[in-house]
Amino acid sequence: MNALALFNPYSGRRLAFLGLVWLTFILICALAAPLLAPFDPLAIAPVDRLSEPGESYWFGTDNFGRDTLSRCIYGARMALIIGLGTVVVSLTAGSLIGMLSAYFTRLGHVLMRMIDVLMAFPALLLALVLMTLLERSVANTIIVIGIVYTTTTARILFGMTLKLKNEVFVEAAVCSGAGHCSVLFRHILPNLISPLLVQASFIFAFAQLQAAALDFLGLGLPPEIPSWGNMLSESRIYVTRAPWLLIFPGILIIFSVFSMNLVGDALRDSIDPRFKDDIAGV
Amino acid sequence: MLAYAIKRIFVLIPTLLAASLLVFIFIHLIPGDPAAVLLGDTATPEDVAQLTREMGLDKPLYTQFVLWLGNFLQGDLGTSIFFQAPVLSVIADGAETSILLAVMTMFWIVIFGVPIGVVSATKHGSWIDQVSSGGAMFAASIPTFWLGLYLILIFSVTLGWLPSSGFPSISDEGGLTNLRYLLLPSLTLAAPNAALIIRLVRASMLDVQREDHVRTARAKGLHPLRVAYAHVFRNALIAVAAAFGFTFAALVSEAVVTETVFSLPGVGRLVVQSILRRDYPVIQGVILVIVILYMVTNLLVDLAYGWLDPRVSLK
Repeated sequence: MNALALFNPYSGRRLAFLGLVWLTFILICALAAPLLAPFDPLAIAPVDRLSEPGESYWFGTDNFGRDTLSRCIYGARMALIIGLGTVVVSLTAGSLIGMLSAYFTRLGHVLMRMIDVLMAFPALLLALVLMTLLERSVANTIIVIGIVYTTTTARILFGMTLKLKNEVFVEAAVCSGAGHCSVLFRHILPNLISPLLVQASFIFAFAQLQAAALDFLGLGLPPEIPSWGNMLSESRIYVTRAPWLLIFPGILIIFSVFSMNLVGDALRDSIDPRFKDDIAGV
Repeated sequence: MLAYAIKRIFVLIPTLLAASLLVFIFIHLIPGDPAAVLLGDTATPEDVAQLTREMGLDKPLYTQFVLWLGNFLQGDLGTSIFFQAPVLSVIADGAETSILLAVMTMFWIVIFGVPIGVVSATKHGSWIDQVSSGGAMFAASIPTFWLGLYLILIFSVTLGWLPSSGFPSISDEGGLTNLRYLLLPSLTLAAPNAALIIRLVRASMLDVQREDHVRTARAKGLHPLRVAYAHVFRNALIAVAAAFGFTFAALVSEAVVTETVFSLPGVGRLVVQSILRRDYPVIQGVILVIVILYMVTNLLVDLAYGWLDPRVSLK
């Protein structure tokens, strides 16, 4: 079945279609943030601090009088950067490790044992330990969450490559004199693209939750960056006085993660049945 | 079965060693001199040098690792910089809260997760199935701390029914009624994990339903409920039992956040606070203890899996 057909609003996947609409909306917010945001997300207005949602500030303001709506819009940008960054880091490293390990058995013994060791750490704990070594920054947050998901990606790709390695078309390629590089990247990798896409969608979703948790614990993005996680973290003290500070960024995170999971689920249903059991979403 | 168990334990030992080496290296990569941190700003260079010698920090790294590991195996995890107490006792102080929290959370996960998953699978494709699987995915999309803060806002601040933070020991005044302090945290922690179990129970029941022995059971005229229980559910539980390994990992990760939201004096919050305080001996000790617990849990789960499903250990 064509993957795109899954998002047809008239097919059974109406929720996945709505998810795609929501993600497009977030993408537009992220790209056009300076045009859409009514205020500078960093501009402080002490007179207006903790104003309720109203005419001038649709989503209210925070403890520094910064406009919540503008910060939410710029937050979409951060969500996109973190999500895409994590996907790129973990898929690149994970596929390389997984594919090479499955293809070169001896190397695999070493590499996959290293992955096993990293997987002995619960995800957030590994991220926390790595963050103690690094400064709080956007790049480091991406690297740390990326490493966490490199382990699962490597595991999954290892299994898939093992399956493909014994297929006739790979044997044919080897017999016709194709080199290792050619076999791996021209014959095996193209068969892994659609499962990788599914994996990417789940990593994108999980990365949002992990990044928000790191922000909340004070070990994620630098506090001055308007991310949804940081906004929630700051709102914690004002929960009773200014509940809107908790509602808006929270809804944005939940809807985005939920949408991404729905899309991932729809994509998974469309892929090669051989790999269906290998990829686990939420 | 015994051979399988022994093989699994032998694989565990090198992984544990490597994990402890990794934790050790992590902590030593952190910039800054632990002796200087320990003594504070007023220390003279001579004091720092003396403490460095006393702590064995001037020895080569591999000697330090062997010494540290040796001490660790004897139950000596070092001394906390912040508490000025043995790391093991600092961890033990948080253990009661964390264990009770985990037990209560598991209770909710089983109470909600398993029945909803079963109903979802037996009514496959119906609106009940759609609502519960959609709801489960939604629940798994909620950041734990957000849910926690919201529950506090509703049940503690607005309604005033439950305490919002802290946990007095059940041996203190109040006894078992003190468990009400853990009600909101355990529900918060259970939500995403129950969601996972719902989806898992549902998926594995659907898998088993397609198998031949279930068709035979139906064909010979067994009552649908008996088929669902004796033939499908019991087989599906095997896959669910296997999931408890990674539920443990998820619990630990999310307990770190949940204990912070509800200011619970548990091991999870200890990790975060030790990181923020740069209390390296505690970070090192707690992480290693958690990793060991996690790996032992996984081992037990795997052994139970092999016992429940003999096909696994024969592979």
